[in-house]
Amino acid sequence: MSVSRRQFLKAMGGAGLVYAFRFAPAASSQEKNYDTLPLDIGDVECVETILDLDYTEWIAFGPDGKVTVFTGRTELGQGLKTVITAVVTQGLDILQGKLTVVQGDTELCPDDGPTTGSSATKYVCWGFWLACTRIREDLITRASRSLGIPLRDLEYSDGGVGLKGDRSQRKSAYELGDGKAVLMRIDPNTSRANDMPYVDLGILNVNGRKIVTGKLKYVGDLSVPGMLYAGWLTQPYHPDLTRLRTAELSAAWAVPDVKMVEVVRGTVAVVAERYNQVLKALDAVKAEWSVPERPEHLDLEEESRARARLYEVKEQEGNVEAGLASSDLVVSETYTTQYTTQAPMETDTALARMENGGTRATVWVSSQHPFMARTIISRYTHIPDSNIHVIAMPLGGGFGGKTSNPVTGEAAMLARITRMPVKLVYSRKDQFKLRGRVKAACVIDLKTGVSVNGRIIARKIDIIHDMGFGTTNTYTIPHVSTKLYHAEWPFGRAVSRGTSFVQTCFAVESHVDMIAAALGIDPLEFRRNNVQFQAFITLLDACAEMIGYHNALPSPNTGIGMAIVNHGGSQLGAVAAEVEVIRSTGKVNLKRICGAFDIGTVINRNTTTVGIRGAITWGIGYALHEEIKLDGHKIETVDLMDYHIPRFSDMPPVEIAFFDNYQPGSPRGCGEMPVIPTIGAIANAVYRAIGVRFYSTPITPQKIKKALQGF
Amino acid sequence: MAKQTFKLDVNGRNYTVQVEPDEPLLWVLRDDLKLTGSKFGCGVGVCGACSVLIDGVARRSCCVHVANVTQGQEIITIEGLGTLDNLSPLQQAFVAHTAFCCGFCTPGMIITATALLARNPSPSKEEIVEAMDHNLCRCGSYINIIEAIESFIKERAGGSAE
Repeated sequence: MSVSRRQFLKAMGGAGLVYAFRFAPAASSQEKNYDTLPLDIGDVECVETILDLDYTEWIAFGPDGKVTVFTGRTELGQGLKTVITAVVTQGLDILQGKLTVVQGDTELCPDDGPTTGSSATKYVCWGFWLACTRIREDLITRASRSLGIPLRDLEYSDGGVGLKGDRSQRKSAYELGDGKAVLMRIDPNTSRANDMPYVDLGILNVNGRKIVTGKLKYVGDLSVPGMLYAGWLTQPYHPDLTRLRTAELSAAWAVPDVKMVEVVRGTVAVVAERYNQVLKALDAVKAEWSVPERPEHLDLEEESRARARLYEVKEQEGNVEAGLASSDLVVSETYTTQYTTQAPMETDTALARMENGGTRATVWVSSQHPFMARTIISRYTHIPDSNIHVIAMPLGGGFGGKTSNPVTGEAAMLARITRMPVKLVYSRKDQFKLRGRVKAACVIDLKTGVSVNGRIIARKIDIIHDMGFGTTNTYTIPHVSTKLYHAEWPFGRAVSRGTSFVQTCFAVESHVDMIAAALGIDPLEFRRNNVQFQAFITLLDACAEMIGYHNALPSPNTGIGMAIVNHGGSQLGAVAAEVEVIRSTGKVNLKRICGAFDIGTVINRNTTTVGIRGAITWGIGYALHEEIKLDGHKIETVDLMDYHIPRFSDMPPVEIAFFDNYQPGSPRGCGEMPVIPTIGAIANAVYRAIGVRFYSTPITPQKIKKALQGF
Repeated sequence: MAKQTFKLDVNGRNYTVQVEPDEPLLWVLRDDLKLTGSKFGCGVGVCGACSVLIDGVARRSCCVHVANVTQGQEIITIEGLGTLDNLSPLQQAFVAHTAFCCGFCTPGMIITATALLARNPSPSKEEIVEAMDHNLCRCGSYINIIEAIESFIKERAGGSAE
C-alpha cells in the first residue's frame, strides 16, 4: 500500500461521490467488465484496485457543489485545462468557479500515460463529455430511489437532481453519494452522447489572466527554503561518444557561494546559491574530452544507407514489382530531411527536495509524463517510486521533448548528494545538445507507377530513420510496399510536434506533385482522382476555394502548392500555400496559407484556432528555416541565433476552415496534424513558382540561390 | 566578485539587494524580488522572454547587469502592468484573443508591445511586426498576438474618439 494512494484518498477527502472512468473501447465478451464492483472510496485497497484496473480519470463531488476532476495528463499549452473545463462545466451544468482541475500530480492523479500525440482531446476530453451524460443518468436514478419519485418526474441541473420545474425537493450529487466509487468504462469513439449536444460556448483560456500577469507558475518560478541552483558541463560531443579525460575544478571552487563541484555521471556538476554563480563556476572548469574516433565530416545520406537495416514492413499489399512493371509511367525519387529539435521556450527545469533523511523526495517538473518522471527519478536516486512525489507544473512548451527528460532525475540526484533542495535549469545550449532531442534526418526513396490516365497503380517507399507514419490511408493504391529501415546513429529519433509524419509527408506530397507534372495533370486534379476518401476532396476543394487556386493569375516567381495528410487514421487535413520566390536573394515570401481540417467536433474554437495556427507555424519552420547542423558527432547549432524558429516576420496571413465529414460527431484532436501538410504545400508552391524541385528540407535561400544561379 | 548593495525601483517600489555587480537583472527580479513573471529562455538576449521596461524602453533583463541599472531608473516588469483582478487593457486584449498557448513568452511579448505602444500609439501592422520580431514564441501564437495588439489599438482609438 503506497503512501501516495493515501494522499489520493485525502484529496478525495470529503467527497460524497466519486466516479472513476476508463476511456477505452467497449469490453469484448471475454474481458471482464468491472463497472459493477462495489468499492468504498475511504478504503485504500479499493482505490488501489480501481487504479490497477486502469480507471484513470476521476470526478469527485464534494460538499457545497464543488466538483474536482483528476487527470494525469499535463498542461503543455495545448489548453487541456481549458478544454476539460469547457466540457465538464457544460456537461454537469456547473459554474466555472465550482470546478477544480487537478493535473499531473502523482499523489493526486492516476497515471494516464504521456500527454502526447494529440490524444488528450480525442480520448480524455470527449471521454469526460460522455462521462457527464452518464453521471447525470446515474444521479437521476439515485434520486429516484432516495426520494421515491419516478425517474420521469426528475431532472438533473447544476450538480444535483430535483423535481422538474420545482427546486424544493432537490438533492445534490454529494447528498446522493453513498461513500462508494462508481466505475464506468466509456468508449471515447462513441460519437453521440445520448441527446445532449455539445455546444462550443467559446470559453477563454482558463489560465489566461495568470499568463498575462506573469502569475502562472512554471517549475522555474518555484522556490523552497534553502534551495540551490545546479548546472552541468555540456559535453562537446555526443555523450555516448566521448569521455571526460581530465577536469581541473579548483577555479570553479573559487567562485563565491559554490557548494559543490564534482564529476558526476561522466561530466561535471556544479551546485551554487545563484544561477549566475553556477554558470561562472562551469565556465571556470577546465575539462579535456576524448575525441570520438569517427571522421569529423560525414555524409548523412551515404552514412545512413551504409548502416540501414530493415526493421519493419509497414505496408504490403498486392504485388508492387508487378504493379510498377505494368504502369505506363514510373517516377523514382529520393528525398531527405534535416535534423530538427523541439526548442521549447522553457528549457528543461526541475526542482527537487529530499525529505525524511533522503528516503523520500518531492520533485516539481516540467514534464509531459509525470509518472515516467517518477520512474526516472527512482533510477537516479534509488528511492522507490512509492516514496517519490512528482508534481507536474504547466509546461513552457514540450512538443514531445519532455516525455522522458532526464532533468527530473538529475535534479533529484544532485539534491540527494548535496542534501539541499536543488533547482536544475538547463542552459539553452544544454537544451540543444541534450541526447534524445534531435529529430532524425531521414532518407526516403519513393517509386510510383501510374497509368496514363492519372491513376496510381503501385508505390514503393523505403524509409531510413523514420517510423513511416503518414504513408497510409491517403491515396487508393492497389500495389503498395512501405519498408522502414533503421541505421545506428547517435543522434536518435526524438519525437517532436508532428512526429514522423513530418518527414514522410514532405516526401510523399512532393513526389505526388512530381508525378502529376510528369503526367501533365494539374496536381489538385491528380489528388482528387486518387484520394482514398471523399472527405479529402471536400478539404482540397475548400483549400482551393480559400486560396483562389483556379482564379490565380500566373505571375512570375509565384506559385500555389497543396498537400494532404491522414494523421493517425482520424484527422484529415489539406493545406494550400502561396509563395513568391525572390530570385536575387533566394528568399521564399509566404503570401498566404489556407488550411482545411476534418477533425470532428471542435470543443473550444478559441484554443483550437491558436493551436492550429501554431502548428502551421511549425510547418513553416520545418519547410524553410529549422536545421540542426552536425559536424560529425558534434551538434554545431546550439543557440536560438543559429536555429531559426519562425518569427513574427515569417508569418503570412493564415485562413482555416473546419469540417466534420470523415468520422463525424466526436472530437479527434489537431495539435500536430496541421504541421504536416504545411511543409509539402510550401515545397510544392516553390516548385510551381520557379520550376525547381527541392529534394531536401529546409528549403533555404542558399539552396534556392544555388539552384537558380548555380552558386 | 564581492557582493555590493544596489537600490532598485521596480514597479514603483524601492528594493535593496546585496548581489555581485555582474548579476543579471533577470535573476535579481526572479530570486531576490520574487517577481517571476520575467522568464529565462536563453540567457543571451535572443528570445525576449525576460523583457522588462527600463525607463519605458523594453530591455532584455538577462543581459543587463544589476550594476548597470542606474539609481533612479524605473523598472517595470509584467507584474507592474496589471493584476489578476485589474488587467491592463493590453493584457485584457491578450486574454480576449487567446494570444498564447503555453504562455511562457507572453510576459515578454506584453512588455515589448507596451513599449511600442508608448512610443507609437497607432503602429501599422508592419511596425508591430518589426517591433515584436525579436520576441520568440515556439507555440506559434504570433497571429493571435498581432490580433490582440491591433484590437487594443482600435479600442483605444474608439474610446478616445468618444
